[in-house]
Amino acid sequence: MTLNVDRPVPERRKLAAKPFSKADRVFFGVARAAAFSAIVIVSLILVFLVSRSASTFAEQGIIDFIFGSTWDASLSPIKMQLWPMLWGSILISLIGTALAVPMAISIAYFIEFMAPKRVAKVATLIVDLMAAIPSIVLGLWGAFVFTDVAAGWSKQLNALFGWIPIFENNSDNFLRSPFIAGLVVTVMIVPIIASITREIFSQMDRDIINASLALGGNRESTLRKVILPTAGGGVVGGVLLGLGRALGETVAILYVLNLVFDTNWYQILESKGGSIASMIISKFGEAGPEEVGGLMAAGVVLFVFTLIINALASYIVAKAQPWRK
Amino acid sequence: MEKVIDLTPVQRPKGNESAPWAKIELKTRAAVVLASVVPGAIALAIFFATGIDFMAMLFAIFMPIQVVAAALVGILVYGRRGILEGLLVVVTIFFASFIVVLLFSVLWSVIDNGSRAISWQFISQNNYYIKPNTSLDYGGVGHAIIGSLLIVGTSTIITVPMGLATAVYLTETQGKTKGIIRTLLQAMSGLPSVVSGLFIYAAFIASGITSYAGWTGSLALIPLMLPTVARVSEEALRLVPQELRNGALALGAPVWRAFMMVTLPAARSGMVTAVLLGIARVIGETAPLVLTTFAADRTNLNLFGGAMASLPTYLFGFISMGFEESLQRAWGAALVIMILVAILFTTARLASRTRSQVRK
Repeated sequence: MTLNVDRPVPERRKLAAKPFSKADRVFFGVARAAAFSAIVIVSLILVFLVSRSASTFAEQGIIDFIFGSTWDASLSPIKMQLWPMLWGSILISLIGTALAVPMAISIAYFIEFMAPKRVAKVATLIVDLMAAIPSIVLGLWGAFVFTDVAAGWSKQLNALFGWIPIFENNSDNFLRSPFIAGLVVTVMIVPIIASITREIFSQMDRDIINASLALGGNRESTLRKVILPTAGGGVVGGVLLGLGRALGETVAILYVLNLVFDTNWYQILESKGGSIASMIISKFGEAGPEEVGGLMAAGVVLFVFTLIINALASYIVAKAQPWRK
Repeated sequence: MEKVIDLTPVQRPKGNESAPWAKIELKTRAAVVLASVVPGAIALAIFFATGIDFMAMLFAIFMPIQVVAAALVGILVYGRRGILEGLLVVVTIFFASFIVVLLFSVLWSVIDNGSRAISWQFISQNNYYIKPNTSLDYGGVGHAIIGSLLIVGTSTIITVPMGLATAVYLTETQGKTKGIIRTLLQAMSGLPSVVSGLFIYAAFIASGITSYAGWTGSLALIPLMLPTVARVSEEALRLVPQELRNGALALGAPVWRAFMMVTLPAARSGMVTAVLLGIARVIGETAPLVLTTFAADRTNLNLFGGAMASLPTYLFGFISMGFEESLQRAWGAALVIMILVAILFTTARLASRTRSQVRK
């Protein structure tokens, strides 16, 4: 082979990593704009809510607004303090999550590792279907079907374990308690946690599971020593996402909970509790302009709280799936 | 002559011999069957014989016997380590069936109570002149169905292009902020619906730009719908093989053309799923609509003119009125919502099934 002197090796072409036609630039521009609209929406929510509630925060004082426990629109000057509702939201979410986690992990484990393929398919369908039930329908069910049943359970819990402080009940009224609201929230968030856990389980390396079985491990030791440690991060993220959803639950809780501005610290069977989201919707109808400002401020607290938990959760889920880039 | 070296060291045994762990001895199988039938039978027998409370029977009689039986089978199969194995199986199945029972309780109560209220007239008429205790022979959810379709339809028209473009950003570009956007979308999917309603109320209604109207409801649904649409269509686009894109680019197509003519058609059924799941996510949302569209008794076809009814707000209004008839209306509306969700859901399932069949 001889080198062709007339046409030497052409100059190395410049590799373009940027779009060079106008149409492509528009295409990428639109995509980027849409992606950043998510950021814009979140910041707009914050800006509008804060601007409407700034006067409330200023008048009531941020610390007093969050940690005080009186809300009375008939006082003058009006007094609005959120703590019983904030703590109520946290308490209900904790009950809901505590009940939902074992159920969700069980379902995910059942679908991925125990059930025959056909049963697993049906079970997946059921979980998806549960996720699609609107919360108002759950609220209706909770108020008129489930409350009586759950009150019966509460009574038995109280009779058996009443000596433990959290199961105390001094009023003999078991309806509309945080425990019942927590159970309704459980039905709400089990599908969320279960579907994320199942996804993480299904992406696990089958070889390490088979290796554990081959070394003589049984199902239980494989779950405890191999599956949970490996999938742990993702499961925790899923649980936090469920927790975030539970904190923001509105209408499903409204009908099964007695909203009282009197902090119920731990007596989950007493007929008093709180929930920020439900309080907003229940007070909104007859609120004067000043109280609406207070409700906006409550919305800000709820929003910031759930945003932090959700962002943390999705960060953990993303970290637990490093193969997704 | 070429020499062939057989690199397979041992011929793998054929048939049942190849998977010795899949063979289950008859003794084991019988033990498992006995352990899953006998405790239930004993508990049911005691339940019918003595008539004690069902929950007490479940927890005081059935569960202990079942746990002991499972532990015995575990010992039989695995030796002493098997106790925990048996426990695991029992606990897993107990929790899974508990949640399934709750789900069927929800579905059954909606279908049972709802079907008593539902009729052609209930679906087609509106709520004008209807008092809480008016008999179910008059009035219905017609205006609410129309309102729901208008409100959700409008937000779909706005959200779907946004969600699709976001998915494009997440899959087709090399942006550095992809991780942040994805995290933010995931976090947005947990946005409390009441906050979304408050946001639109603060932005448009409290500031006096408009009074309650349909379009504010549509806007309030966007932040709730966007994450679902974006994430599901991202999954759909991700399933399109990279080779197709590269092929189109190598043939000289600009990126947008490659996307429009190759990637998007390949992911079409996934897109349909994304849209349907997005609609199913918001069609039952109540709190944002209560704060932004309010409720109306008459049919209102104008998104920009006055309060507008929708199925969730109709249900919300009738739940707490305290009359037998109003409660019946609430169950009827719940059934209509569930039917709509089921239709959307089934269509989405069918759409995604054709996709996987095409890929085979």
